[in-house]
Amino acid sequence: MKVVVGQGSCGIAAGALKAYDVLEQKLNKDNELDITGCIGMCYLEPIVDVYNKKELHRFVKVTPEIAEKIADAVNSGDFSLTADYEISDDDKSFLSSQTRIALRHCGVINPEKIEDYVNDNGYEAIKKCVTEMSPEQVIEEIKISGLAGRGGAGFPTWFKWNAARGSNGTEKYLICNADEGDPGAFMDRAVIESDPHTLIEGMLIGAYAIDAKQAIVYVRAEYPLAIKRLKKAIKQAKEKGFVGNNIFGSDFSCDFKIKAGAGAFVCGEETALIESLEGSRGMPRLKPPFPAQSGFLNKPSNINNVETFANVAWIIQNGGEKFAAMGTQTSKGTKVFALTGKVNKGGLVEIPMGKTLRDVIFGIGGGIRDGKKFKAVQMGGPSGGCIPESLLDTVIDYKALSATGAIMGSGGMVVMDESTCMVGMAKFFLDFTAKESCGKCTHCRIGTKRMLEVLTRITEGEGREEDIALLEELCYSIKDGALCGLGQTAPNPVLTTLKYFRDEYTDHIENKHCTAHECTKLTKYKIDPDACRGCTLCARKCPTGAITGELKSAHKIDRDVCIGCGSCMAACRFGAVEVE
Amino acid sequence: MNFYNSNIDSDLTLIEPTLENLGDAPENLISVLQSAQEIYGYLPTDVIIHISQRMCVPVTKIIGVATFYSQFRLTPIGKYLIMLCKGTACHVNGADGIYDAISEHLGIKDNETTDDGLFTIKCVACLGCCSLSPVMMINDDTYGTLTPQKAVDILKTLAEEEKQ
Amino acid sequence: MQIKITIDGKEIITDSEKSVLDIATENGINIPNMCYDPLVEAYGGCGLCTVEAEGVPKLLRACATKPSDGMVIHTDSERVKQSRKVALELLLSDHTGDCKAPCTKACPAGTDCQGYVGLIANGEYEEAVKLIREKVPFPSSIGRVCPHPCEKACRRQYVDSAISIAFLKSFAADKYLGDTSLMPKKAENSGKKVAVIGGGPAGLTAAYFLSLKGHSVTVFEQMDKMGGMLRYGIPEYRLPKAVLDKEIEFIAATGVTFKNGVKIGKDISFDEIKKDYDATVVAAGAWKSSKMRVPGEDLDGVYGGIDFLREVSIGNEPQIGKNVAVCGGGNTAMDACRTAVRLGAENVYVIYRRTKDEMPADPQEILESEEEGVIYKYLTNPIEFIESNGHVSGVVLQKMKLGEPDESGRRRPEPIEGETETIQLDSVIMAIGQAPELSGFEKLEQTRKGTIVASESDFTTSEEGVFAVGDVSNKGADIAIAAIGEAQKASVVIDAYLNGEKVAYRKPFVVERSDDEIDYSVFSKAQRAKMPQLSPNERKHSFVEVNKGFTDEQAREEAKRCLECGCHDYFECKLVKYADENNVSYKRLCGEKHSRNQEDKNELISRNADKCVLCGLCVRICDKVIGKSALGFVDRGFGTVVLPEFNKKLAETDCTLCGMCVDKCPTGALREKSGAEKPLVVEECSKITVCELCEKRCPIDVRFIGDTITRIKPYGKDTVLCKKGKFDLLSDKTLLQK
Repeated sequence: MKVVVGQGSCGIAAGALKAYDVLEQKLNKDNELDITGCIGMCYLEPIVDVYNKKELHRFVKVTPEIAEKIADAVNSGDFSLTADYEISDDDKSFLSSQTRIALRHCGVINPEKIEDYVNDNGYEAIKKCVTEMSPEQVIEEIKISGLAGRGGAGFPTWFKWNAARGSNGTEKYLICNADEGDPGAFMDRAVIESDPHTLIEGMLIGAYAIDAKQAIVYVRAEYPLAIKRLKKAIKQAKEKGFVGNNIFGSDFSCDFKIKAGAGAFVCGEETALIESLEGSRGMPRLKPPFPAQSGFLNKPSNINNVETFANVAWIIQNGGEKFAAMGTQTSKGTKVFALTGKVNKGGLVEIPMGKTLRDVIFGIGGGIRDGKKFKAVQMGGPSGGCIPESLLDTVIDYKALSATGAIMGSGGMVVMDESTCMVGMAKFFLDFTAKESCGKCTHCRIGTKRMLEVLTRITEGEGREEDIALLEELCYSIKDGALCGLGQTAPNPVLTTLKYFRDEYTDHIENKHCTAHECTKLTKYKIDPDACRGCTLCARKCPTGAITGELKSAHKIDRDVCIGCGSCMAACRFGAVEVE
Repeated sequence: MNFYNSNIDSDLTLIEPTLENLGDAPENLISVLQSAQEIYGYLPTDVIIHISQRMCVPVTKIIGVATFYSQFRLTPIGKYLIMLCKGTACHVNGADGIYDAISEHLGIKDNETTDDGLFTIKCVACLGCCSLSPVMMINDDTYGTLTPQKAVDILKTLAEEEKQ
Repeated sequence: MQIKITIDGKEIITDSEKSVLDIATENGINIPNMCYDPLVEAYGGCGLCTVEAEGVPKLLRACATKPSDGMVIHTDSERVKQSRKVALELLLSDHTGDCKAPCTKACPAGTDCQGYVGLIANGEYEEAVKLIREKVPFPSSIGRVCPHPCEKACRRQYVDSAISIAFLKSFAADKYLGDTSLMPKKAENSGKKVAVIGGGPAGLTAAYFLSLKGHSVTVFEQMDKMGGMLRYGIPEYRLPKAVLDKEIEFIAATGVTFKNGVKIGKDISFDEIKKDYDATVVAAGAWKSSKMRVPGEDLDGVYGGIDFLREVSIGNEPQIGKNVAVCGGGNTAMDACRTAVRLGAENVYVIYRRTKDEMPADPQEILESEEEGVIYKYLTNPIEFIESNGHVSGVVLQKMKLGEPDESGRRRPEPIEGETETIQLDSVIMAIGQAPELSGFEKLEQTRKGTIVASESDFTTSEEGVFAVGDVSNKGADIAIAAIGEAQKASVVIDAYLNGEKVAYRKPFVVERSDDEIDYSVFSKAQRAKMPQLSPNERKHSFVEVNKGFTDEQAREEAKRCLECGCHDYFECKLVKYADENNVSYKRLCGEKHSRNQEDKNELISRNADKCVLCGLCVRICDKVIGKSALGFVDRGFGTVVLPEFNKKLAETDCTLCGMCVDKCPTGALREKSGAEKPLVVEECSKITVCELCEKRCPIDVRFIGDTITRIKPYGKDTVLCKKGKFDLLSDKTLLQK
């Protein structure tokens, strides 16, 4: 039997290595033990798949103890004792409701073995390109597919390729933006960790289309496993002749380089990324000139993100029309989402465009955790916005999502329930953008800082009557005045929360009240004397000594000393602490 | 610029292979600095000056780059670098509470190091393990689905191991 | 390629390779910008040059936009203005400094104190006097009598003691007293006639400036001589009338007609004047002494303060006897008591209901009066004047104590029940205030205080073409410099009115710090120059001027003590210029501010990051034009700062000290060491010549004032100087002769 342990970063963090070690020790030698990447059911990690001929046993949340039992089952061929650890039918639907193109190999093949990829028609697409198609035909096929940039802006991929192809110059660069900086999105990491050859092949096709001889992958330094696997994959591809000179005997040659980013969200902006590749501070350049004319080292360059490239080989193999058959009028193909937050089933979800948010969150995601009420879903990260329940039937489509004030973005989908304060959420994102602002332009450097200060005072009960108008003024001015995408979209989280959750703002400002009880300075706790057993635990946990009381008698919180941190509530075992 | 330290005496031969390997193309500066940080744990003053001379890149530019990217450190860090994820999913699932707990337990704030030189806390944007949120990474190990208590227990265990 | 575009309605044929910013500039349309310079590539940081192009949804940065044929561009649409305003307000919200010095801001007339103090420090006395005269036509007189709000604001007091600004003013002005060669050029005759009612400081100031603007001005004065309160309210020992006469002669020399002994409503009616003149300025002053409402104040021997001073000044000295009480604690009380001493009174009392600390009079005056033997009765209040033979013979004083502070912040005096004191007196002088005499001006709307209502911004009254300034208007009597300030501002408004325009005075935009934000420990101490004076004994029996005046050495040393609070870049700073033009508020978007306090003015090039707007021009010019990397960016986002490597001194880096960074800096974040002994913040003169220190012969712009070369700038947008041309040449004294 073949036993496969999912070893994406999430799986490893959840304990996949320990499970692997156990299996390695316990499995009989006639069984094959292998690894695979991330299948996307992060909430069930670690996952161990056992292939018994055609039959698949998928074990979830595998602890070392369970791994031992799995080893026994595999060794004995008797799976009756481990049935409880297998995935439930309900959880199976998480995958079965998806349509996977970009993630087609994720969690299926061993990312460290090029043979696995080749066996699944790997590198056939680039072969087809260089042997049967002209670069123009490749671009035409991508045009037919309707593939748009999956990094955020949704710009048509063929158009960029065409522009870069049309630029003069013998030296051109094909760059992959794998600096997945959007907090809450991790599909690019998953693709590189789980299927690096798909990326390489997609990039080779892009390089062929624009006539670039050098491909560069700009990866976040925070993704060490992805870098390791990508390096290995490039080495293997070189050995096989898929990367290097005269690929498949053609005139097309292309070499690969990996550059690790060093931690700057703004480097997701393509001109800042180029600055970073050149070894400089990642401060965006003015456009024009566009990278297609003058990019890396002032040579024509084309930049797409990982997920975009992950679709390319599939499109060449299956035809652009097949891809375009999925989706809506304006958005074609599938999109990967990183579904996280207060949702029951979090992980990677790839679905055709045109499904609704409700399909994703309540269908595939299984709704809200702990029976709580849905409040909003954050899409597009710091450049996006919060979409309320009333708009859950919005279809997934670049235009439809933009109409809500959020954006498709790179596909981060963070679900929030009633315990999340929306002002706090806006503050969270502004804190992020203010910290990540490169400092070049006035509006972003100082504007986001001032917005953060206003939001902070609102959450601390110091909000002023004019603050909402001031925030709106700053929002529109920053959108108009900021130099790059980071700044221009930074106000979106504030604008959408103001649009859909304005009453939360006024509640904070006028009533000094936070419905979500998340703003500690606005939240005061009290102890129900009837429920309190006088165990003193809360008093001991209180960081400011606000709680007093004798052992075995009801305790009291001094309102003036209480800072509203909620540690008493978390500590109380009798449910005696409640919000005032 | 309080990191300037003229008393440091780093072994500059350690960075030589990197410099030879990557050459002096200025676009390799970030890669060289990453390698230097891996070797020395941070970017010491004399290493910066050495790289400047070898690569013919001005010190002002190196410092500009080193202070722009959050990965680089200009002062030494503790043995254990706690990277606490403050990404969206982690935020929604209570990363602030984790921060408060470990910060209180260690008695240090973001970007500070404990007096015993053991722990440094660094809040980071997103580690990409959103489904396991809240998450922290200590050196190369990732810890997910944290609670304040669980996070503190992990630190206690590491401190215990150090004592032995 | 030649294309046709439209900017602000103006059709322009231009080259498509040029930026919108360059095209606009070439066509006289100014688009604000701070990070653009033709020497380097467009940067796009400051966000001020945004423009709107029809059909383009986003705002465009003019510096980076190359127009397409037919493009219609607006540089001042509402959306553009709003974006620009917010950009400026954001920049200002993290811009720390003082555009103007506290002394200058405190002066009601806006005299550029830091400017002329600096000029005096450099021995440029003539330039100093010219600068003062831009706002005040009586520098010698005002320097002597002004209670100097400037000195009260002077930050030097937090180091040791304030600069002696007022005396420096009269020191310089005395050197050119009556010297009409300093007369500014008079504008061409406008053919307009202006009547000024009142020949005091306000009226004469208005007359002076309006006359210089080419209008024909007549001053009507009820007294026999011009000068108003300066003549009739200030005693000779403080302001010798010979000095005042010279200054009035200077004003007359501009062509003003004086008509003395004319009282409105008696000798001529207000309506008549109004009819005969294109504009009328009412500056009639406040000539009525206020009453105390104390029983017996109408007795013989009880005088009003200004009445008393006026009578003394015209030689009608009242018989005040040996024992004199002066009621009140202001400067008029001081003038009265010290005059009484000089008239031979033996016991002169000052009766004041609070203590010395609350006294509004200038402390120096109090001190000098004490030296002259004046007896202070603090915490007393007259409740009755005693009569004897129809003449005052004494006063009953209620003893007081200080209670809670009142609205003015001073502790309110309260009577101590039953405690009184009686003093025997021969006369009483009540110096408790003064009010206008408005008979003849009934047509003009009045305030409840009995003053004329005038607009605070344009000085207009209820009558068309009639303006009111000084003590006669609004809040009433104030110090002379306040009246002069109003009159000077009004002259601008009236000049515009006469030209058919409407302007109002608007306070210029400034960024400022509060006094406690400054680290005074960096300044070394140097005590204030002591004014040489007559001895108290000499003073008591003579009306000879008490102050003998500074020597040149004293004055220059004193002037050098100036802390130079106002920004050196005020006259060239783009930020303050745009802020002023765009009517922004720098406090609206306030928040955390940087306060790095790192400036070291001793260096040839010093840096003050607290004023930096991060336009990056210094970093970019150094890198791309000079080929050095003396400065670089450190950190990112809001915390970004420009620093030399490891924050060293520039001279210790690869900096060539060419000074290009300073010349390109749009604000005062970078400064060069001045060629002047004491750095100057004034509008300089400019002379274009060439640097002859090498064969390149770079064109240079030599900045100087008087005989002092202040700095050298590269001339022409492509010129790049080196240290030789920038700094070495400064010591070349032959430069000015060329």
